[in-house]
Amino acid sequence: MEAEEFRLVREALRAFAADHRCDAAEVGQAERTTAQKALDGLGLGELRRSTPPLASAQECALLAEEYGRQPLATSFLGTVLLAPEVLRLLAAAGRHAPYGSRPTVALTRDLRFTGRDSEADHVAWDAEGAESALWIGDDGTVRALDLGGPAPTTDLLRVVREAHPGTPDSVLGRLDPEQLHAWRAWALVMVSSELVGAAASFVEQSTAYARDRSQYGRPIGSFQAVQHLLADATVAVEACASATRYAAWCLDHADPDTALAAARVAKAEVDVSAVEAVYAGMQVFGGIAQTWEHMAHLYLRRVRVGATVLTGTVDLLTALALPEPGPQVVEAP
Amino acid sequence: MDFQLTEDQETIRKTVAGLLRDFDDQYWMRKDRDHAFPEEFYAAVAGGGWLGLTIPEEYGGHGLGITEATLLLEEVARSGGGMNAASAIHLNIFGMHPVVVHGSEDLKRRTLPRVATGDLQVCFGVTEPGAGLDTTRITTFARREGDHYVIDGRKVWISKAVESEKILLLTRTTRVGEVARRTDGMTLFLTDLDRAHVDIRPIAKMGRNAVTSNEVFIDALRVPVADRVGEEGEGFRYLLDGLNPERMLIAAEALGLGRVALERAVKYGNEREVFGRPIGMNQGLQFPLADSLARLDAAELVLRKATWLYDNGRPCGREANTAKYLCADAGFDAADRALQTHGGMGYAEEYAVARYFREARLLKIAPISQEMVLNYLGSHTLGLPRSY
Repeated sequence: MEAEEFRLVREALRAFAADHRCDAAEVGQAERTTAQKALDGLGLGELRRSTPPLASAQECALLAEEYGRQPLATSFLGTVLLAPEVLRLLAAAGRHAPYGSRPTVALTRDLRFTGRDSEADHVAWDAEGAESALWIGDDGTVRALDLGGPAPTTDLLRVVREAHPGTPDSVLGRLDPEQLHAWRAWALVMVSSELVGAAASFVEQSTAYARDRSQYGRPIGSFQAVQHLLADATVAVEACASATRYAAWCLDHADPDTALAAARVAKAEVDVSAVEAVYAGMQVFGGIAQTWEHMAHLYLRRVRVGATVLTGTVDLLTALALPEPGPQVVEAP
Repeated sequence: MDFQLTEDQETIRKTVAGLLRDFDDQYWMRKDRDHAFPEEFYAAVAGGGWLGLTIPEEYGGHGLGITEATLLLEEVARSGGGMNAASAIHLNIFGMHPVVVHGSEDLKRRTLPRVATGDLQVCFGVTEPGAGLDTTRITTFARREGDHYVIDGRKVWISKAVESEKILLLTRTTRVGEVARRTDGMTLFLTDLDRAHVDIRPIAKMGRNAVTSNEVFIDALRVPVADRVGEEGEGFRYLLDGLNPERMLIAAEALGLGRVALERAVKYGNEREVFGRPIGMNQGLQFPLADSLARLDAAELVLRKATWLYDNGRPCGREANTAKYLCADAGFDAADRALQTHGGMGYAEEYAVARYFREARLLKIAPISQEMVLNYLGSHTLGLPRSY
């Protein structure tokens, strides 16, 4: 995408977020529907519909970061970035017919990547405005699941619904192993990007508060202990932003295995640093951040749940500890 | 609950602090720099009658408990002597415990009074290159020949071996493949370090350089049966008795080191002015020091509880390990922060905190690593599956 074009897209998303940011945890369905319509109206679904796609992975990651900056009750990751990318990969390989429904992604009940048993307990994640959920097996098989009623979730702004096996002919196609790796890397990067945006924005807001809030006749931001806390939080945000942006670059420029390794590093870093940064920001806000009315808990919920979405840190580190697949040694005849 | 030290215990603290006042930073800096054993300090502590603190009265000691021993070593470390001072006398203070409990009357008469006066220096020979903390894997072997044993093997990280006349030496008398339990078949000796059969090589190391740490090569060392501690094959169990007190003593040394580091940091923080005010006024420096104070105080309480339990004959494994863990961490953090408070001067030997930093780091490794403490707490206290 041309730089100017991307700037316009990002500004449109920023304007949408400013209009529809949630100031409270309670969001009515009418409000959600209106906001989702407004988001869909931006046409971001087109960014990755074709092959080659209009927008690069790096551009999409930056948009996910932008999206994460405000508390929003719409679906962007699930229905705009994660599920459509599965369909694009299938179409690119000529492995599926056009799919009429608007899907999000299916995850296991504890919000991890699906993989083994499509009959098991699943939910549709980030399901506002979604009509189905895509289940992706370890062998690359993609199935469409039907949606059920709302499922409980700690991230109050994110809609999660029950997901059930569809009709027997629900198999949409099959990703080859490279595509599966590429998609998982893509999903990790997009989720990480959203969390980076959330952490960065929250630290900025708490820094602004430290400038305004006065105690003992001076702004609390003049106290070293507060300054250092915010400086540490800024470093933490920078660490996860850098790791995530590098992983996004790998999606555009490296092979799927390298991209997956970089995405795992990014998510592992985000799982720790984004949460720490939000903790630091909450400490700076003091008592006000402990109230229901304050938006702090919306950010806290997003990063805390986010740190477990797709894979947890322990699984990521375990995967990263495994030896890299090396070049095949061919025996001389 | 009673948090008050007894009058005698308070006296120990004050007297020891007074006795060591003359051994200043210059003294310890010189000893550390020159890798020279602190003879004058050792003589002063011996002269004050402190070395036999826990040795029974009938063998020339004071017969006091581990509480008093930890107070003594804490004060010694806190005097500014740090681990150089503590390690110089550590073994005299409680190291003879297996001999006191399990040694023959003859062995006790021959050795304990001399340890109490300081005339006899002893080192502790357990760890080996191939064994480390996994003690049952030691291979140093004692072969019986009539009324003697002949010992061959190799020990490593033997503190004070260069300065010692005798070694409390753990050997195998039955090979590990031939015993029912891996902890069987080990035998303990208290015997002469006969230089004709023992080669001692100091290890170049990061700190605590006034007291050597050595590799010890033992070649056909003949040891009379009379130098055996207790029964053949029971040596490992004799050592177990001493593990908890050992942890408490090390905890006390770490605590003393942390205290002196913190004192120096506070002094410097009050004196040193930058940007027209004492640097201690900066929260960035003040808070870490206040945090260290809180952590040292908390660690001290666990240590006091552990020594109280031991002296009252109660189980104390959990508390002894926890005390070692918390004191080592709090002590090291205090030393690290003291160094940071001193800025560039912290890196200069002149201000002593660099020496404390190097020594405090040791206590996160010795006598057991922090990780092994967590292993103990995880499996023995929490009841989780043993992971190693």
